[in-house]
Amino acid sequence: MKKVEAIIRPSKLKAVQRGLKEAGIPCLTVVPVKGSGLQKSYSERYRGTEQSMILKTRIMIMCIVSDANLEICIDTILDNSSESSVGDGKIFIYNVEEAIRIRTRTRGAEAIK
Amino acid sequence: MQEVAAVAIEQTELISAIDTVWVSICAAIIFLMEGGFALLEAGFVRSKNAMSIIAKVFIDITFGGLAFYAIGFGIAYGSSNGWFAFDTGITENDLGLGLTVSNKLFWFIQLGFAIAAISIVSGAVAERMKVWSYALFVIIFCAIMYPLAANWVWNPNGWLALRGFNDFAGSAAVHAMGGFAALAAAIVLGPRLGKYDQNGQAVAIPGHNLPLAAVGGFILWFGWFGFNPGSTLGAVGNWELIGTIATNTFLASAAGGVSTILYTYFKYGQIDITMTINGVLAGLVAVTAGCNVVDSGSAIIIGLTAGVLVDVAVLFIDKIKIDDPVGAIAVHGVNGLFGTIAVGLFASEDGLFFGGGTDLLITQAIGVLVIGSFSFIVTFILLKIMKKTIGIRVNRSEEDAGIDAVSFGVEAYTTFE
Repeated sequence: MKKVEAIIRPSKLKAVQRGLKEAGIPCLTVVPVKGSGLQKSYSERYRGTEQSMILKTRIMIMCIVSDANLEICIDTILDNSSESSVGDGKIFIYNVEEAIRIRTRTRGAEAIK
Repeated sequence: MQEVAAVAIEQTELISAIDTVWVSICAAIIFLMEGGFALLEAGFVRSKNAMSIIAKVFIDITFGGLAFYAIGFGIAYGSSNGWFAFDTGITENDLGLGLTVSNKLFWFIQLGFAIAAISIVSGAVAERMKVWSYALFVIIFCAIMYPLAANWVWNPNGWLALRGFNDFAGSAAVHAMGGFAALAAAIVLGPRLGKYDQNGQAVAIPGHNLPLAAVGGFILWFGWFGFNPGSTLGAVGNWELIGTIATNTFLASAAGGVSTILYTYFKYGQIDITMTINGVLAGLVAVTAGCNVVDSGSAIIIGLTAGVLVDVAVLFIDKIKIDDPVGAIAVHGVNGLFGTIAVGLFASEDGLFFGGGTDLLITQAIGVLVIGSFSFIVTFILLKIMKKTIGIRVNRSEEDAGIDAVSFGVEAYTTFE
């Protein structure tokens, strides 16, 4: 089992969600996040005063997938989240030790099927 | 003969009835402005202090309202020697204002002015003032300070009223009074933690809910159509004047918005929406003194000027290290001052630009400068004394954590559910 954590543009969320659903891996958790990538600094102006170190708004998608679904999941996110420009985001993959479905107490890969 | 007397009585009854409907509606509209202040100020502060500012507006209305009832009204409208009067509660005596509404209803509409004046201060002290110290200041302000200014300007025996000072709905008595108290309070309190960096540069501390602030602005805007037209204190015989006032009030506010939109667009390349809220309010504040005596064109010029003045003032106040989270000083202080003086320039009969000479201009300048200085000095001294004795500022850890959680045990946005 792997955890796929993708930070994407908020405008891409619907497309990614639809893509994942169509690929048969519809389970996901979404968190609105703010953050900064490699770009040095953004600034905005608030009531005439410059604000530096502005964090950009992004969406973080978390999917726990079976090893078999991992590449499909990654491809789906890649296909649906890019504008081919700076600020598209990143994908991180982690190992998952255990998954438990609360209702049935099922453990392991069964829990995420 | 009896019939004639009966008709005469019936007429005064009718006049009183009509005027009572008019004044009570306007008073209620003015009262709603407190909701506008609350939302505007809550939106312009960080979420960790959003409830504390709501609490301050509640204190304005409750503590301030009772103080204005018990002592304030008597000081403002009792039998005046020109500078002050003393009476308690709502006097039954004829106030000498030719009122066609009851003294109680007159008290109620005046209450709206008193609590509006103090609510100006609540914005400038946001995110750092101790709540009980603030409550004490509110009581003093509404019981004594504001009523003295109202006495000078609106009591028939007030020294400014006798000089022909024209402050129709209170650019000086309400807005400069509140604005200069706000200035003194912001100076004595000092800026919020983190407002200025090590080099002394101003750091932006964005408000947490700008749509909320905008709605607050719209409610205040609405409230002004009770504030200015309602200051006629009666509809009978004033139907033309009420139209003039409502129109002038709108034209100045729209012009204030236009000039802020254009000014920020050309200065920054983008329209600054939060400044536009202030620009509209600046136009309203500035036309409040003269809405009864200027013509439509002058109202527009007053508004255009106010809209630029507020932008310049917000930046200037920031630069000289006075932290005013909501722009209260720039909106109410600076434009209260400008609006009062503008009457001396733009009044259709006595204004300098309309061939009226400098008499009115001088009276207007003296009046607003005295009121502004009075408000500034008394607030400054009072808060200095309170700072030395009971303390006026929350401690550092509370300011970091947020006043809502530490002092009130609430959060503005609390559960996940």
